[in-house]
Amino acid sequence: MSSLSASNVEHKTGDLAVSVQNLGLTYTTAIDRRPTLKARVKSLGRGTKQTRIVQALDNVNLDVTYGQVLGVIGTNGAGKSSLMRTIAGIIPPTQGRIEVFGSVSTLLALGVGFNPAMSGRANVHLGGLAAGMTRKEIEDHFDEIAEFSELGDAIDAPMRTYSSGMYARLAFSVAATVQPDILIVDEALSTGDAHFKEKSFNKIKELRSEDRALILVSHAMATLREICNDVAWLHKGKLVSRGNPDQVIDAYQDFLHLGKSSAIDEDL
Amino acid sequence: MSTPLQVYEPFRAGLPPLRKYWRSLWSRRTFISEYSRSELREQHFDSIFGQLWLILNPLLLSGVYFLLIVIIGGSGGAIRYGHLTASLFLFYLVSNSLSGGVKSVTAGQRLILNTAFPRMMLPISATVIAFFKFIPTLFVFLIMRTVLGLPFGWEMLWSIPIILIALMFSLGVAILISTINVYFRDIASFLPYLIRTLLYLSPILYEASSLKPELRILEYFNPLFPILDSWSLAVVHSQTPHLSSMLSSIAWALGVLLIGTYFFLSREREFAVRL
Repeated sequence: MSSLSASNVEHKTGDLAVSVQNLGLTYTTAIDRRPTLKARVKSLGRGTKQTRIVQALDNVNLDVTYGQVLGVIGTNGAGKSSLMRTIAGIIPPTQGRIEVFGSVSTLLALGVGFNPAMSGRANVHLGGLAAGMTRKEIEDHFDEIAEFSELGDAIDAPMRTYSSGMYARLAFSVAATVQPDILIVDEALSTGDAHFKEKSFNKIKELRSEDRALILVSHAMATLREICNDVAWLHKGKLVSRGNPDQVIDAYQDFLHLGKSSAIDEDL
Repeated sequence: MSTPLQVYEPFRAGLPPLRKYWRSLWSRRTFISEYSRSELREQHFDSIFGQLWLILNPLLLSGVYFLLIVIIGGSGGAIRYGHLTASLFLFYLVSNSLSGGVKSVTAGQRLILNTAFPRMMLPISATVIAFFKFIPTLFVFLIMRTVLGLPFGWEMLWSIPIILIALMFSLGVAILISTINVYFRDIASFLPYLIRTLLYLSPILYEASSLKPELRILEYFNPLFPILDSWSLAVVHSQTPHLSSMLSSIAWALGVLLIGTYFFLSREREFAVRL
């Protein structure tokens, strides 16, 4: 289980942060979005398949060191999110081994909060406790989180009353404020208005430091070119190439036969 | 070269490393208490009227069922009413745990997809919430049995191990049903019928001793039967429960808890991709 509690270890640039070795991940998932007993009974004897097996990752080797800002690119379904989830310890691997040398904070596609009926404040507390933080650690960061998210009084309103932008703002604030050793951001920079987009972009830049590792999944090539000092390209669960951001992104864009169009450069 | 803080490897025999699992579960006990408290606050049980309702609800229920018993020709009386109320209160511990547990994993979807933590915290919280709701009813019953003039005695202390057994059983069913709900989302719609059936098959509206001999077989198939029978003997009649009932209660509770836990742990890995 991952832990957000402080590791109390000084990290130097070049030290390993994450080591992914021969990682393979397969899983069975339901074809129905909402599997029911009724559907199962109805399909009895018809031989309809209820599940499909997904080979999400195949023999991926990847080392991330402190001081690195790694961008992860690839088409939809390339395995980017699966890779992030295995590094975060959310899905255990089927093969291989992952070593993580530091505390991890994740901002994956869905963000914080699991009970929309509860206030933003309660959700932040619960999310933090679930991630292994102590009450005091959360208290210490809370004001900063609330301020960065610019939610104002809405922080005490039930989360079901939030707009998707407010949701995203709070999620980003939580992940970025807790000062993790390793921060994983999965396509979560895209929501929020222009002002907040700019603010979160700057926050990411600010978080780039010698003793921290950032892993960003994004389709915003221009952003990645600007922030990252390393890019990994995944395709169909395999690592295609890794290295200098401009080279890898150029190769990826050639592969997509898209060239440099503004449509893929601009938006996140 | 420093040692890694976390290592993720494939599971052996489909189970996560247990020792590590329990440790991280234990270290997150504040989550369980915080979650239960927020949930109760959410249901307004922190206000006076909310707590009043917590007590009023089972009281009204026992009143309604008492009316039913009297009308269909059962005998009334203080013991009967005391038995009905006490049994209903304990039954509600189990049924609240079931109905709270069923959606605990599916409702925690966002958290499960975004954070690594022992998922078992979710059904455990559901049982803790059910227990918090159970506590005030205990005091109501104490007052009620004084008013009804039921006998007091040291045998009533048997209620403590019985509550522990009932909690263990509640936890087991909450864990089990939360897992099943991941695979069959409509199980929640069956649940009210399941609970209702369990209510009628258990010695609540009637006393276990007054059951027809040919129906005594229920005792062996309904896990709640021995638990509720012992409970009523201890807290209503102030008698020592039968050893056989106590033993089969423990066996049921342990069995359900172990099977539920194994089922949950062996499936837990899939939750993140099934939700």
